[in-house]
Amino acid sequence: MARETTIRPPTDANGHHAVGQRVTRLEGPAKVTGRTVYADDMKLPGMVHAKVLYAPYAHALIKSMDTAAAEALSGVHSVITAMDLPEYARNDSNRRNLIFPDKEVLFYGQPLAAVLAEDPHVAEEAVGLIDVAYEVLPAVIDPVAAIEPGSPLVREPLGDVDRSEERGHVSVQSEETEQTDDRPTNIASTAPFRRGDVDASFAAADVIVENTWRSSMTHQSYIEPHSTIASYDVSGELNVWTSTQAPFYIRDELAMAFGILENRIRVTATEVGGGFGGKIYLHELLTAALAIKVQRPVKYIMSRKDDMLAATPAPFAHIELKTGMKKDGTLTALQAKLIYDSGAFPGASVLAGCILIGGYYKCDNLDIMGYEVLTNKVSVGALRAPAAHNATFAIERHMDIMARELGLDPLEVRLKNAVEEGDPMPNGQPYPRIGLRECLEAAADSRLWRDRREIESKSNRGVGIAVGGWLGGLQPASAIAALNKDGTVNITVGSADITGTNTSFQQIAAEVLNLPLDRVNVTYGDTRTAPYAGMSAGSKTLYTVGRAVKLACEDMRDQMFDLAKQRLEAEPEDMELANGQVQIKGAPDRAMTFARLGYLSTNFGAPFPAVVGRGAITARKNAPGFTAQIADVEVDPDTGDVTLHGFTIAQDVGFAINPLSVEGQMQGGASQGIGLALWEEMLYDEEGRLLNPNLLDYRLPTSRDLPPIETIIVEVPSEEGPFGARIVGEPSIVAGIAAIGNAIENAVGARVTESPFTPERIVRTLGKL
Amino acid sequence: MPKQLISLTINGTPREVTVEPSWTLLETTREALNLTGPKEGCGTGDCGACSMIVDGRLVTSCLMLAPQANGRRVTTIEGLQTNGTLDPVQQAFIETGGLQCGFCIPGMIMAARDLLDRNDNPSPKEIRDGLAGNLCRCTGYTKIYEAVELAAQRIRGGD
Repeated sequence: MARETTIRPPTDANGHHAVGQRVTRLEGPAKVTGRTVYADDMKLPGMVHAKVLYAPYAHALIKSMDTAAAEALSGVHSVITAMDLPEYARNDSNRRNLIFPDKEVLFYGQPLAAVLAEDPHVAEEAVGLIDVAYEVLPAVIDPVAAIEPGSPLVREPLGDVDRSEERGHVSVQSEETEQTDDRPTNIASTAPFRRGDVDASFAAADVIVENTWRSSMTHQSYIEPHSTIASYDVSGELNVWTSTQAPFYIRDELAMAFGILENRIRVTATEVGGGFGGKIYLHELLTAALAIKVQRPVKYIMSRKDDMLAATPAPFAHIELKTGMKKDGTLTALQAKLIYDSGAFPGASVLAGCILIGGYYKCDNLDIMGYEVLTNKVSVGALRAPAAHNATFAIERHMDIMARELGLDPLEVRLKNAVEEGDPMPNGQPYPRIGLRECLEAAADSRLWRDRREIESKSNRGVGIAVGGWLGGLQPASAIAALNKDGTVNITVGSADITGTNTSFQQIAAEVLNLPLDRVNVTYGDTRTAPYAGMSAGSKTLYTVGRAVKLACEDMRDQMFDLAKQRLEAEPEDMELANGQVQIKGAPDRAMTFARLGYLSTNFGAPFPAVVGRGAITARKNAPGFTAQIADVEVDPDTGDVTLHGFTIAQDVGFAINPLSVEGQMQGGASQGIGLALWEEMLYDEEGRLLNPNLLDYRLPTSRDLPPIETIIVEVPSEEGPFGARIVGEPSIVAGIAAIGNAIENAVGARVTESPFTPERIVRTLGKL
Repeated sequence: MPKQLISLTINGTPREVTVEPSWTLLETTREALNLTGPKEGCGTGDCGACSMIVDGRLVTSCLMLAPQANGRRVTTIEGLQTNGTLDPVQQAFIETGGLQCGFCIPGMIMAARDLLDRNDNPSPKEIRDGLAGNLCRCTGYTKIYEAVELAAQRIRGGD
């Protein structure tokens, strides 16, 4: 388990010595000693702290804003309102292109002004002294009512909607249809998918199940709130240090917003204290604007309350689903209406929800309609496979209910219908090689599933299964591999490491170069020093940047072969890398060590050019990841309390470069799925005020709630991923609500149609309230 | 309110520090003593990322005022290593993969250390109860349980 300094004997059929091994995190020692530097741990000379005024109404007009008392408070540097901001490319249709509104408040918690002070407490006190007069407007809170023709409008009609951030999370061959016609509506976009004849298929079905499934608005709840520092100086250089998954994306956005050349902006992704899709681009624009305005470094750390009010949580969804099945368990028809509450700006990944609800099973007859609906709530963003858990909740509850009505085994019914390579998604795009069936087979063989009859023989116990999946995002990526004088190797990438990807890159490099792990180190640079990488989102970092690292090391290998040619008197095809040297196949004593090559390519007057490998790729093929999850619950039918006794997750990861990290991703995502199933819910009142903006009332899973989560790694190689790896991070969250919902119904017969499955909802469903 | 001079022993070293009476112990260690290991995740005592051991008791330092720490012995994550060697709890978290983003870890390890100081042979249930005040969003806790079990085993000498 300790970090390796010698090459292990090959342990897998392919002779791998570094990939496929359980390797501890490169950053482990810094993280366990408190030495890792997060954004809030940094201080810059002359730095001032920002605090933000958040709107106290969900929908209102700003009649006036008086900042005199705030400015007069001792210690206040300045108060910045919409009128005081430097010029930027404002577009009120997109959350990310609007710092402060000047007229209309669109959600409770919308940023309206900022105070700067050297002492953050002073800034906070001054925020309370800003005197704003509002004219309160009717707030549209319920997205289901909001799509009705007579509904009041959330806001002025949308203009040019930018979907670039959503594309970072999932890449599919479809587009939302933006609602830009003349008739004002709260529908931001629609996503229709049809095939076959749904009506005829329902008429011929042996069982039809129809239900409405509602899943709560939830928060990513990374333990580190959003944290950013920005600095701008007279030379025109903008520096941003921020807790983000997407440094290059932020650079590009800031360049466009302020008209600054991209090579004058340096975005450094500081260590991310949890992101889960929620840390892409939030108040970097605000913080940079403040720094440009006052020409001093500005630090803005959201409080937990700020973050819950005004970050980008995950949407509530209302899903009406009707499915039909033949007696033999063949799914024949699926009709769905999906309403995702996007909040006051577009951003809900309704497209992904629509594709997944009809994308797990072969079904010739589909009629799916998705609506992305605006309301006067905080606008949403990504949470680990955005929109997938809501849709999966619906279809995976239906599969169990239909199986039950037909007297069939729920796992067998899933296996019978599961999609395979070549089957079309609802958008017609064929699946590449995938491992959904293999996950189900692995689940069938798990201890929890084999023991389910015995478990369910105890009173109020139930075991439930559900599948889930995610398509993943695609973006180009690059990497650099440089040979040092002592023969060690530096890998440089541009992707923020949010899951342990740097350690996996180290393994990939050590594998290709046939080196011990400690001869390879990995750095992720800022946007001025690192080669380009897409955002660390959509589960694509290892899948794309990992390929680039592999290529960079292969390029380095080829350069070393070329340099060794003359001295070894041999051609590259006769050479190999082994034992830390370039050697002749079959004659390892004819060799040049990495250190010798390093010396000859770096020393004063050295004969060889520096050895720098380059890897650059574009990714065009998805490598979807599927999972099957099993929950074992006990439900108290009198109190509605649910105790989770066991949870098993099988997931196809293509090839586990680092099983230790892969298991961690599977367990972490599963625990979040369990949280969504049982506790997590942002509660809004009728006026659109968030009632639980803290981690006591917004209840996260604790250690007391969670038993150890059993993992089963399934490996169906992807076509393009490094060593066959496919997406890993996101699928694990997707199936939790459905698996637990199925288990609860199996335990006490309660068909709870709204998540989270709180004691109140369970007791109510049982007719006891 | 006038500033106050407090003295405390921080990670074994006696220190005097001038604080605003309204400062928390967390602010005092992070801002005045430059120990940024302990983290603020919520500021309301719900997440545990700021956990420290004060006179042998685990506290959420975001809820303790600096003057309340006057005269006390405070141990933060920075104080766990001895002579450059990791504490068995720190080492175990690395080895079992009990850390991901790492933001909860400075508090989580203090909670685990506090648990093992009281009971070096905790049952699985005692581990889960002992860490229940510290939220981790990344790991699902499984590998944290494994870390505490491994550390307990080593502390008992059963490595």
